[in-house]
This record gives sequence, structure tokens and C-alpha cells, in this order.
Amino acid sequence: MLANDNLHELIEIRHLTASAYILKMTRKGLKFNAGQHILLGKAGSIELREYSIYSGEQDDFFEVLIKEVDNGVVSKQLKQLHPGDMVQLEGPLGYFTIDTDRIAHDNFLFVATGTGIAPFHSFAKSYPLLNYQLLHGVRFAHEAYEKNEYLPQNYLLCTTAESSGDYHGRVTDYLRTHTVHPETHCYLCGNYKMIYEVFEILEKQGIPSERMHAEVYF
Amino acid sequence: MKIAFKTLGCRLNQYETDALASRFHQGSYELVDFNEQADIYIVNTCTVTNQSDQKSRQTINQARNKNKDAIVVVTGCMANNYKKSLLETNAIDFVVDNERKSQIYSILENHFRGTAADPEGFDKDVFSYEAAYKTFHTRSMIKIQDGCDNFCTFCIIPKVRGRAVSRPAEEIYTNIRQVIDHGFKEVVLTGVNIGRYLDGTTNFERLVENILHLEGDFRLRISSIEPDGFSDRFFDLFEHPKLTPHLHLCLQSGSESVLLRMRRMYTAAQFAAMVNKLKSRFPDFNITTDMIVGFPGETEEEFEQSVQMAQELEFSHIHTFKYSIRTGTRAERMPDQISEKVKNQRSAILRNISTANKKEYYSTMIGKPQRMLIERITSDGTARGYGENYIPLRLKGKNLQKNQFVNVLLTGLHEGKEPEVITIPATAVK
Ligand SMILES: Cc1cc2nc3c(=O)[nH]c(=O)nc-3n(C[C@H](O)[C@H](O)[C@H](O)COP(=O)(O)OP(=O)(O)OC[C@H]3O[C@@H](n4cnc5c(N)ncnc54)[C@H](O)[C@@H]3O)c2cc1C
Repeated sequence: MLANDNLHELIEIRHLTASAYILKMTRKGLKFNAGQHILLGKAGSIELREYSIYSGEQDDFFEVLIKEVDNGVVSKQLKQLHPGDMVQLEGPLGYFTIDTDRIAHDNFLFVATGTGIAPFHSFAKSYPLLNYQLLHGVRFAHEAYEKNEYLPQNYLLCTTAESSGDYHGRVTDYLRTHTVHPETHCYLCGNYKMIYEVFEILEKQGIPSERMHAEVYF
Repeated sequence: MKIAFKTLGCRLNQYETDALASRFHQGSYELVDFNEQADIYIVNTCTVTNQSDQKSRQTINQARNKNKDAIVVVTGCMANNYKKSLLETNAIDFVVDNERKSQIYSILENHFRGTAADPEGFDKDVFSYEAAYKTFHTRSMIKIQDGCDNFCTFCIIPKVRGRAVSRPAEEIYTNIRQVIDHGFKEVVLTGVNIGRYLDGTTNFERLVENILHLEGDFRLRISSIEPDGFSDRFFDLFEHPKLTPHLHLCLQSGSESVLLRMRRMYTAAQFAAMVNKLKSRFPDFNITTDMIVGFPGETEEEFEQSVQMAQELEFSHIHTFKYSIRTGTRAERMPDQISEKVKNQRSAILRNISTANKKEYYSTMIGKPQRMLIERITSDGTARGYGENYIPLRLKGKNLQKNQFVNVLLTGLHEGKEPEVITIPATAVK
């Protein structure tokens, strides 16, 4: 493949908070399944990082939701880009996907911290009939990235540093006091500590391991 | 012209070397031992750890020191990972990446004819290897897949072997029929992540099932596989007498939190359930594994969980790796890297467990039958080879031949550098 095939043009950059932003770029017909990620970096850079695709399968562009990380390299570089700049992209990759045969009848629980909401946004956008409950854990309510994209009954914001979310506390605190039906397919995305704890909680509630799926960001 | 090969690292590399050696042999080159003086040295390198890098570099120097006028070709994963710096090394004549490894014969033929021999000018093809008939082993390895999309955070393989690709199933069946016709009695499926095999609707399980239905007196070994995505059908396959009851299932860590940081695709609990299921259905099933010690942030408690699992699951062999930083991987950027001293201590603990487990497993097999495939006959007339459970066996007797199946009975342990099991022909037992 020519190196040029990996170059995509940046269409838009939307800043959601001081550190979180969405990059919208050309898709160039690449196929993907919601939940997959791409490897992304500045054009010409050898530093690429994984980012879950935020946009839906039907969109003719790719979007990713990124949080600038202190001392990070790529999350900082990408934030400096402008529409018209080129980015380098590999993929899509990954197995954090939904068996679409299950969409019509089954229930889904999505648990995210921070930008870990990205693949769930893609699920929700790609599969409008999906029956899901999304728990989003953040510190402050303004980090409820694009919460209006989800129906209010599907989305529950857990805030730890203030009480203006739907629930004051961590997603793990919420799950400890709210039992999940054992038939539910559970998808967890974010930092490994949250995922580790949620695994334990759900296991105790009787969710079999084959119904739990994890995407570890860091 | 004399040509010598050296393979470092995995079975996939061994397969590729075997196929290349066959091609050169057909082309009237004389295969000689790597320690001998040769005109061409091919070093098929590995880069999975720092240690493999070091060994690969030593081997390249060894080749050059054997004959300063020889052509030295470096291929394999190190050629992908360090192409630029290797090209700058005087000791090396050609650096050929994995994607063009199958072209080494044509590259050298062009070189000797004085035509264009720059490897970069040759097409990439990771599967265009001919069926090996002149191999360094009695087992014939068959490549079914290359590359990996799992991107475990410690692993350099996706960078040096590329994205996952599967070889067309029909080509695999043809390849296997050829090696059986060449007289091979054991076929070993190889690849980087063979469990993810997919060609159209043929997934790994279907592929194995179809291979088991091929005609001929051969047995099939799956060998090294990632423990993700097995269905019940996978376990059923081991009912087939041609499929050997042995798997090298890569655990890497017994700690759930370390497995998450590694971005492995299974939990320790799922892994244990898989092993227990295999052992309850096939009590003598042999399970070997890979484990990494000293992954960034691995606490004493997390390591203890690995120790516990190594003991509980009774792996008969644990290939212990000390974690080593691979540039460009996620784990390189993780905090809390572990000191060499601690890694050495932890690795010694796992190695001791492995030794004890192996002895225990071999001992439990004494008194049981195996179908031994003789790999070589030593100077004192002892046949050495493996049974279906991948236990190294020794047999004394008359008229024994290499590449022969013999039904044997396991009678006792042979304590050598590596333990083996002594056997007698099953016919000797009334
Ligand atoms: C499959 C996958 C999908 C991902 N998808 C997304 C996504 O959709 N959006 C997103 O913002 N990130 C995502 N990440 C994380 C992303 O790949 C980068 O790690 C992150 O952007 C930091 O990169 P960097 O080069 O700036 O920092 P680096 O130099 O890579 O890392 C600096 C340090 O920050 C830590 N770190 C990494 N990510 C975070 C984080 N999110 N919060 C706090 N600390 C962190 C690292 O462990 C490291 O110690 C994903 C990771 C994976 C494995």
C-alpha cells in the first residue's frame, strides 16, 4: 500500500472542554464495525496511538473523541491540528464489537469512564434499535461529552467531584447498589482499574464472563 | 555452492527456514551445518525480547566470522524492526523483511546472475512458500496465517509481522497433502495468531476439522495458540484420533489486573475454565504455556497470582519470559517498570515450578501407552522422539527408523539435562 493511502484530511476539530476534543476526518471508504479503533497520528509521524471510532458506521467520515493527556505526546500533537491538515491512520482494528444478531432482542449495559464513551457513541449511532443503558463516569458534569446524542432514559452520568450529575459517585459505586440482569451483555471501556473493579462487581451479581467485554485504554 | 541456515525464535520462523532450505536444495545448493564454512549464511532472526535481539546479532557476527567472503542474508523480525541500522552494518549483504522472505531464493539467484537483487524490488508475499520436503525436523510445519491484530501492550509482533492475514484454505489442504506425500507423519499448524484464522466462512475450527478429514497416516498438532474465542466445537475436535492432545496456550499472567494492562483478550478465570474443561474431558491432556514476569507495575501480589495459577493448572512446561521493553509498544510508556533483579527472581521461581510440574506430569504418564514418532536415532542406538502428548520419549530396540510411528509403553523417567521418558515397544507387553 502507498503511504498516501494512509493519509486522511482533517475536516473539523470541535473542542468540547479545555482538554477534550473531537477530530472529524475523511473516511475514504474504509469499512469498520462500531467499537473498533484506528491508529492515528500526525501525517509523517512515527508516533501513532489507538483511538476508538466515535462516529457511526453509516457516516461518511471518521470521528474520534480525544482527551489531551498531561505529558502525553500524540494527544497533544493532534490537538494543535487545523482543518485541512493531514493525519495518518491505520486500521480499523479490534474486536470490541457487538454481534448484530443480538441487537433486536438483547439488553446491553455500557460502562465508560472519560473518553471511554467513544465506542458507545458509535454503537448508539450505528444501531438505532439498540436497547442499552450507558453509565458514564467523569469528574465534572461538563465532561458529559455530547450527552444530548443519547436518549435521557439511556444515559446516566456519574460525577465524582461534584453532585450535579445523575448520580454522585463512581460508576462502581452505582453498580454496587444497582443489580444488573444476568442476561445483559456488558461492555466496559476506559482505564483498567475501573474495568477490573466492574468485572468483580458484575461477576458477584452473576453475569457470566462470556457476557463481559472490555476495552482497556490505559 | 554451500548454504547454511540459522533460525531464532518461533515455529513460524522454523517453518519459513525449512521451506527456504527446501527451495535451495532443489536448486542444487548444498545444505551444510551453520557451524561449517559456507558460501551463503541465512540468519532468520527474532526480536521478541532484548535477549532475542542479542542472540540474533551474535549469530550474524558468527556467520561473518566463519567466512569473511560469504554472503550473509539477514531476515525475520529483526530485519523488520531494525532494517535501517542493519543495512548500515558491514557484516550483512542483504536485509530481507518478513514480507519478502519467501523471495530470498530469487534474490540470491539474481545476485549471482548479476541482475537486480535489491530485496525492495521484489513482490511481498507472506504465503508463497513451497511445501518443504527437505526440513530440519521430522514434523512438517504448515503456515496457515501471519500477523496479529491483537496489539497486546507488550508485544512488538504486530509491528514486525503486520496485520492478520489468513492463507486460503485450499492452499493449506494442498500443502498438507504434499507434505504427507513427501512422507511426513506429523503436521504442525503455525502462524502468529492461528486461532483468528478466517478464510471466507472457514474459521480455525472448520479448518482443523477439514484437515483431520484428509487421508493418510499422519497426526496433527495445533501447538501454540492464543486462548481467545474457542467454542465448544473446538474442544470436541480433540475427540479425533489424529489431533494430538497437547496445546501451548499462552497465559502470560495469572493476575486479572495485569492481563487487563496487557490488553489480553481473556481473563485468568476464563483461561482456567478452558484448561479445566480440557482436562476434565481428556485427563492426560498436556498443556504448556508462556508467561511474562516483571510486566510494568507487576506487584508481589500480582506475581503471586501467576505463581498460584502455574501450580494449580499444572502446566507441564512454562516458557518464562522476563518482560523487556520493546520500542513503540504501549507498555514502553507505562510507569513502574520493574528492575532486572526482581525479574530474575520471579523468573527463577516460575522456572522451578515448571521443572517440578514437568516431572510430575511425566510421572503420571508412566504405565500409559503413546504413539511415538521417531525423530532421530542416537549413536548408541536409542531412538528419540515424541508421543502424541508431546512428551519426549526414548526407546531402545532393533530395526528402529527415523520418521517411524511405534506404539510404546511409558516405563520410567530418564533424568538428563531435560527429563525424558523411557519406553518399551507396546508389543513387548503381554
Ligand atoms: C484500543 C484503544 C482505544 C483508545 N481510544 C481512545 C479514545 O477514543 N480517546 C482517547 O482519548 N484515548 C484513547 N485511547 C488512549 C490513547 O491511545 C492514548 O494512550 C492517549 O491519547 C495518550 O496518548 P499520548 O501520546 O498523548 O500519551 P502517551 O505518551 O501515550 O502516554 C502518557 C501517559 O498517559 C497515560 N494515559 C494514556 N491514556 C490516558 C488517558 N486517556 N487518561 C489518562 N492517562 C492516560 C499512559 O499510560 C502514559 O503513562 C485508546 C487506547 C486504546 C488502547
